[in-house]
Amino acid sequence: MPQDRFPGHRLLPYLLVFPSLAVIVVFLIIPFIQSVKMSFYKMSPFGTRLIYVGFDNYRQLFSSPDYLHSVVITLIFSVFVILVGLGLSLAIALALNQRIRGKGFYQVALIWTYALSPAVAGTIWALMFAPATGIMPYIISKLSGGYKLNWMTNPTVALLVVSAAATWKMLGYNIVFYIAGLQNVPGELLEAARVDGAGPWQTFWRVTFPMLSPTTTFLLFVNMLYAFFQVFGLIDIMTRGGPGNATEILVYKLYRDGFIHLKSGYAAAQSFVIFIVIAVLAVLQLRVATRKAVYAR
Amino acid sequence: MKRIFGIAALALVVISGWAFAQVEITWWHAMSGARLGVVESIVDEFNATHPGIVVKPLFTGSYAETLTKFIAAYRTGTAPNLVQVYEVGTQTMIDSGAIIPVYQLPEMFGEEWDWGQYIIPILNYYSVDGNLWSMPFNSSTAMLYYNKDLFAKAGLDPNKPPTTWAEVEEVGKKLLESGVVEHVLSFGWPGWIFEQMHAYHNQLFANNDNGRSGLATKVLFNQDFGVMVLNTWTRLAQEGIFLYGGPEYSANQAFISGQIAMLIQSTSSLAGIEKASDFEVGTSFLPRFEGYPMGNSVIGGASLWVTKGQSEAELKAVWEFLKFLGRTEIAIQWHKGTGYFPTVNSAVKALLDEGWFSKDQNFLTAFLQILSGRRDTAAAAGVRLGPFVEIRELERAAIEKAVSGVMSPKEALDEAAQKANQLLEEYAKVAGS
Repeated sequence: MPQDRFPGHRLLPYLLVFPSLAVIVVFLIIPFIQSVKMSFYKMSPFGTRLIYVGFDNYRQLFSSPDYLHSVVITLIFSVFVILVGLGLSLAIALALNQRIRGKGFYQVALIWTYALSPAVAGTIWALMFAPATGIMPYIISKLSGGYKLNWMTNPTVALLVVSAAATWKMLGYNIVFYIAGLQNVPGELLEAARVDGAGPWQTFWRVTFPMLSPTTTFLLFVNMLYAFFQVFGLIDIMTRGGPGNATEILVYKLYRDGFIHLKSGYAAAQSFVIFIVIAVLAVLQLRVATRKAVYAR
Repeated sequence: MKRIFGIAALALVVISGWAFAQVEITWWHAMSGARLGVVESIVDEFNATHPGIVVKPLFTGSYAETLTKFIAAYRTGTAPNLVQVYEVGTQTMIDSGAIIPVYQLPEMFGEEWDWGQYIIPILNYYSVDGNLWSMPFNSSTAMLYYNKDLFAKAGLDPNKPPTTWAEVEEVGKKLLESGVVEHVLSFGWPGWIFEQMHAYHNQLFANNDNGRSGLATKVLFNQDFGVMVLNTWTRLAQEGIFLYGGPEYSANQAFISGQIAMLIQSTSSLAGIEKASDFEVGTSFLPRFEGYPMGNSVIGGASLWVTKGQSEAELKAVWEFLKFLGRTEIAIQWHKGTGYFPTVNSAVKALLDEGWFSKDQNFLTAFLQILSGRRDTAAAAGVRLGPFVEIRELERAAIEKAVSGVMSPKEALDEAAQKANQLLEEYAKVAGS
């Protein structure tokens, strides 16, 4: 028989977890069930007509070239944000972890992007790349001898600019965690590696990088969620999914179909698909990454 | 104890008495920035002059957000009495079953109301079978803006803006050759301008009389006329004359900073553009395609819808407020403060009398354009579609694909039309009344 941890108060533990459970049930589980149910219906904007359509919404989804395009765009976008973002921030964190003069200043200067709201970050980038008045098209035109960079019409450029902006926005956050991770790498290990004759490159790949793997795992997950969901504001400010639908990532398409085009059933089906994708990715990532991550020292 | 009861009873009497005397009306709108101030001062004036009625305006975000919130509120029984809905939401509101058409209001209170006092093209836009369904509030249309200083610098007559698209091209080439600009022309709201071109040349945009005699089931924008329009724009883009400037108002910056010499944009940008630019702003009618019939430019903006299920006292108060908005001096205040059309004819006369238009002729341009156009055809009145928001996005996507050379104009429009027709079919099935 397990030890009675609350002698005489058998119900107390249930009472204590009840508030959290209630919040989860009311705000997560019930809406989730409702939206799954909604995905089998089509509803008029004002909800006056509800038609059961079975798997029609899903069928429509997977036969829609726009949706498949959105899936591809989301993959490209998130791979860019995660790989470039993590790579770049690790490099910067390594540089910031050296003994240099004015280190504090550089650290703050490189971290503050995270403190910006998506609206501000989006506006900065949109102004920088404005086709006729922005500084970037001007510089590129001068350097290339007249090439006119217009991200409002060029889908590839638009996706690149949005990806870059999203990466830049998350850079500060990643750097903070990498700096913290680097400071936890024990000095004696690095010293031992040096004594054994390892060069800086080898030391990094054989000692520092494996020691950082818990941080990397965590950041992978956070960045994935960021790339899937939180970039919404940035996209809304910068491109609204355009030009055409070049930057319409899954979550943005869902928002537009549900809240602007007023097609609740169709949007509910999309939300369920995103849920499945994220759940599978999360489980995979946790399984693979936690097995590899070196937690013990 | 007795005393507490006494106080409570007294409080109840006071509260109910107050509630009896005061009818409170909530109005959800999407007017931000300078427009918000004008809305508030108009409402304050109404409240001050109408004892017994309190109108509470509430800014509820963008047009799309306001409509989404209204729908959610209506379904939970907490909808406001009055809501502002953008023109693309008109068919959705008509089919909603959630509103009372405004033409029924005066009948309810045994009043005669002369609808002829409102500006006819605006009235037509929001009417179904000749009856007005929503109260015109902020209406605009599109016109041509041009930079007179740049025209003069390029050796062109600053008082001769182009009349036709052929002239746009000709003037554009001269401006490019003179080197004063790198691009010449840009648009705001590209999909809307595409719709404008159809109405402006009396071409139907969708079947069933532009969706005005019944729900539209097929769009017509990928036929000869639409393809010709997009072919022209694409050619202008290839020649460097047309610079695609993005959705909504993002092209304004290029015009204000003198990077381009011409802009086709909503009249509601006039005050902002004049204030922000340090050159002489000229305005004129939209350019025409030669050899096509005359139509009219289309109304954009938003109108006010009355929610179903209010008490009679509330409805009466809403009606008082709607009448108030059509008063000459209020319509003038609205026009001067925002640049939107005043909604009543008497306001136009008063503005003319006080010399407002001769002080700044640019405020007259759009008026003359819509008042001189034809108004007896469905094609000229503008299209009404159920899934209008989405279809306008499809138009924009097609324009983007064509001018950037991803697809030929015909292919881009065919693709958009095919998707639009699917949307129309689904709308008729799910939402059509």
